[in-house]
Amino acid sequence: MANLFEHIGMEKERLQFSWISSAEAGKFTNVATEVANTIEALGPIDKFVKKTD
Amino acid sequence: MAEDKKTKVVSFLCNWCSYGAADLAGVSRMQYPENIRVVRIPCTGRVTPKFILSAFREGADGVWVSG
Amino acid sequence: MDSLTQKIREIASNILKEGRVDMVIGFAKGTIPMTTKPYMARTPEQVENFIWDKNCTLNLANYITGRKEKIGIIAKGCDSRNIVNHIVENKISRDQLYIIGVPCSGMADKHNPDELRDNCATCTHRNPVIFDVMAAEPVEEQKIDDPFADVKAVEAMDKDAKWSYFEGLLQNCIRCYACRNACPLCYCPTCFVDESGPQWVGKGQNKTDIQTFHFLRAFHCAGRCTDCGACEAACPMDIHVRAFTRKLNKDSLELFGWEAGLDITKRPPLDTFNPDDPNDFIK
Repeated sequence: MANLFEHIGMEKERLQFSWISSAEAGKFTNVATEVANTIEALGPIDKFVKKTD
Repeated sequence: MAEDKKTKVVSFLCNWCSYGAADLAGVSRMQYPENIRVVRIPCTGRVTPKFILSAFREGADGVWVSG
Repeated sequence: MDSLTQKIREIASNILKEGRVDMVIGFAKGTIPMTTKPYMARTPEQVENFIWDKNCTLNLANYITGRKEKIGIIAKGCDSRNIVNHIVENKISRDQLYIIGVPCSGMADKHNPDELRDNCATCTHRNPVIFDVMAAEPVEEQKIDDPFADVKAVEAMDKDAKWSYFEGLLQNCIRCYACRNACPLCYCPTCFVDESGPQWVGKGQNKTDIQTFHFLRAFHCAGRCTDCGACEAACPMDIHVRAFTRKLNKDSLELFGWEAGLDITKRPPLDTFNPDDPNDFIK
């Protein structure tokens, strides 16, 4: 799905997948920070958002 | 608001895996970014492309699916 | 009369007379020149309406979904692959079908009748992959050096160019859903665009809604699309609907080595788990 996103011109990195067990709180915070930073670096989204005006 | 500058990440977390991890992280008072908005789902298999597109359409800047 | 048409009528009328099938699905002449329409013959007399020419662009596999009677069906290469899809997805059983295979040398472009339409020009499965009887000798398969040249051209663009390319593609869409209705893969009892609780996609002409529809429809066809071109044949606005599904076809070939509808014993890749599946996208 991320590949198709990229194909239509969205940033692939906006969609992230991961695999964390319920015992891995440390991994959770690491991945969460990583994801948040990646998205923050991409900035706010300007495509595919439904404009209601 | 200061929060307006931040991006929003909608995260779909599996009840049994990542949601548990998030819960544990909270109980252990670990810091994680506040712009992660959690949606608890019964299983990662429940996530369909509809959910993801829906999140983007409603203005999410990123989507994170974690099992 | 064309010998292929003759042969199709002969086979169809024989199986109807013998009672092997309750009806035969084929093509009949359309109401305007250079078109055909799907036609179901239930008596040997109706068989005379069948024709076979360069304009049989629809996919007849669309009409067998969930049917209970015994059906004879005329199948070109792509139709037969969609029939395989239907059997694999339990939409019809193999015993119900009597497949009349027709080797296909490509269908004509609807605006330029002397040329093959786009998807037929890059087709590598012209002969039916599954059949009970063939109406003619198999034709030679095309050798295509780079079947996904068009997809690669889009891939080479930067993200803003891609976005404006797809925005341009969809700006004429009138949300008639003809592509969905012509598609043999789209048989959900309630399509996601018609669901109302919750409503995933708005009903209007909103740009994002149109994009969502095309994006998700294409995604539902991932690993199943046979590039039969029925969506484009049906589109009244001439939108290049296949631009989306082509990319997914390329991905399923590259990631899973899979081409849809070739083997009745194999499940599609997004339907099964295999330890070797690519998983580098997961952290």
